[in-house]
Amino acid sequence: MNALTPLDIFDPSSYPTRRDEEWKYSDLSRLLREAPERFAPVELDWDALPPQQADGNAVIVNGGFSQTPKILANLADRAHLTYISWGYPKAILGHQGEGHVRIEAGRKVCIFEVYDFGIAPEVHRECTYVGNTALHFYLEEGAHLIRIVILNEPAAAISIRRSTVETSPNSVFKQYVFSTGAKFQRFETHVRHAGHGAEVVLDGAYLLKDKRHFDMTTRVTHAEINGTTSQTIRGLVKDQATAVFQGRILVERGADGTDARMRHQALILNDGAHIRAKPELEIYADDVQCAHGNTIGALDEESLFFCQARGMDEATARGLLTHAFVLPVADGIEDEEIRGKVLEFLEGAGENFHAV
Amino acid sequence: MLSIQNLTVSVDTKTILKGLSLAVPNGEVHAIMGPNGAGKSTLGYALAGRPNYNVISGTATFNGEDLLDKDVHERAAAGLYLSFQYPLEIPGVPALTFLRTALNAQKKLRGEDEVSAPDFLRRMREIAKSLKIDMDMLKRPLNVGFSGGEKKRMEVLQMAMLEPKFLILDETDSGLDIDALKVVSDGVNALRSPDRGMLVITHYQRLLDHIKPDQVHVLVAGRIVKSGGPELALELEARGYDEYLGVAA
Repeated sequence: MNALTPLDIFDPSSYPTRRDEEWKYSDLSRLLREAPERFAPVELDWDALPPQQADGNAVIVNGGFSQTPKILANLADRAHLTYISWGYPKAILGHQGEGHVRIEAGRKVCIFEVYDFGIAPEVHRECTYVGNTALHFYLEEGAHLIRIVILNEPAAAISIRRSTVETSPNSVFKQYVFSTGAKFQRFETHVRHAGHGAEVVLDGAYLLKDKRHFDMTTRVTHAEINGTTSQTIRGLVKDQATAVFQGRILVERGADGTDARMRHQALILNDGAHIRAKPELEIYADDVQCAHGNTIGALDEESLFFCQARGMDEATARGLLTHAFVLPVADGIEDEEIRGKVLEFLEGAGENFHAV
Repeated sequence: MLSIQNLTVSVDTKTILKGLSLAVPNGEVHAIMGPNGAGKSTLGYALAGRPNYNVISGTATFNGEDLLDKDVHERAAAGLYLSFQYPLEIPGVPALTFLRTALNAQKKLRGEDEVSAPDFLRRMREIAKSLKIDMDMLKRPLNVGFSGGEKKRMEVLQMAMLEPKFLILDETDSGLDIDALKVVSDGVNALRSPDRGMLVITHYQRLLDHIKPDQVHVLVAGRIVKSGGPELALELEARGYDEYLGVAA
């Protein structure tokens, strides 16, 4: 049910094409013609790390994802994970990795993931790399997992970041994803409400410029009663950037009391930028509340007039409102320090995003 | 002096104001009362320059300057402040940021120096205190999740910070309970001064108990059909607009 499409970046025959419905708007095979060179994960010896690294910060280089559970087991309930991907000029290097994380019953964990070229030496920046990683989360009864993700990858990167989540009764999974895209970037999350009364939040924001491509795909299955899913995705695209939003919520027969809401709101800032949005609700239960909304367009004219009536010229008002458009997504993050970091990221990414 | 002559305004294809004339000298407070659909809010929007409010004919000047010629923000910088009946929620923009951006934009257009952050905050604190607004509220996105009363207090706070030369209050009393009405009225009264005019648009006499007008005008079907002293408001409260509906038709 939660299965991700099999993908091995070292085997071109496994690359999805636009004929695959799930990958219709993000055609990997067109960008990646042949397998990259293998760049082995840098396996850090977690036990040997100096103690100051055990304060909730960990750096994972080139997809050493199998280490994630070990790292999390060692970390406090609030973990800051930096996933660094390196490339080299004139070579296309690839890495892939997978990790399984179980959140024990009643435990509350907050994971802050940053995908970055981070502390990479200059030579690695803006290099092409192909990263294909997956994390699998299992939430036991009453467990809470708050996952905040910043995708701050270079323009040349090809990046596929996928995850699956399985809930248990009364567990809580909240995810907040913030992206600036890449040459090709797909963030895919599959959630299965496998326990009754679970609460799921799948929020996110993207700010795309130049020729960047970002694909936010979510698949939520309500298989048990009284589950809630709330999703708000907001985005800005300019230049020749492309955003893809594919959201599907499936409510299985018998999953009564489900409350599922999906919203995608985006602004296209100029001709030439694209958004492909495909929200889907599939409902087989009777007693459910489901809604989806998708708005792509321009700034609210009334808000614009309000700002101008207070003295802002049109460009200033548009700049202020455009920049502010994605910020409310961060408001859901309770951890103040992490929210501060997210806002900082959005501030930086949002420069020069003026609606025209 | 705000001077309006024969102003005709249409919204979409409908003509709302039909040759309205009005003069409000500096230092005076004039009230505009009228039934629903008379064009009260349209007058405020047309003066502020809202898009789609098309001036078909007539003039509006402020201290001799043509208002209708100017862009929305230029009217604000010239000193015109329209307080909205339903102030908008601006998600993602803290009230402090919004107001500082607006203030500095006005100052820039007038060729004045920008206000420094410490000066801005000091002044903000004083005004917020007098309006019983918590500084924490000003760090939150403007009006998002605020109650009706809080939104109106924010409007008064903005007036006090921006120091406009002319205020148009569009149904500032709507959605206010008695206590909030008092706080808001006190805030507006504190801004009364010999060089500042005000136009108070309202349905009810109640607001005029708190903000005492020098003159009251009755607006029916796009025109001023009667003007008088404050006693006119009491008269309207007692008898309603019926007798004027015939006049307009």
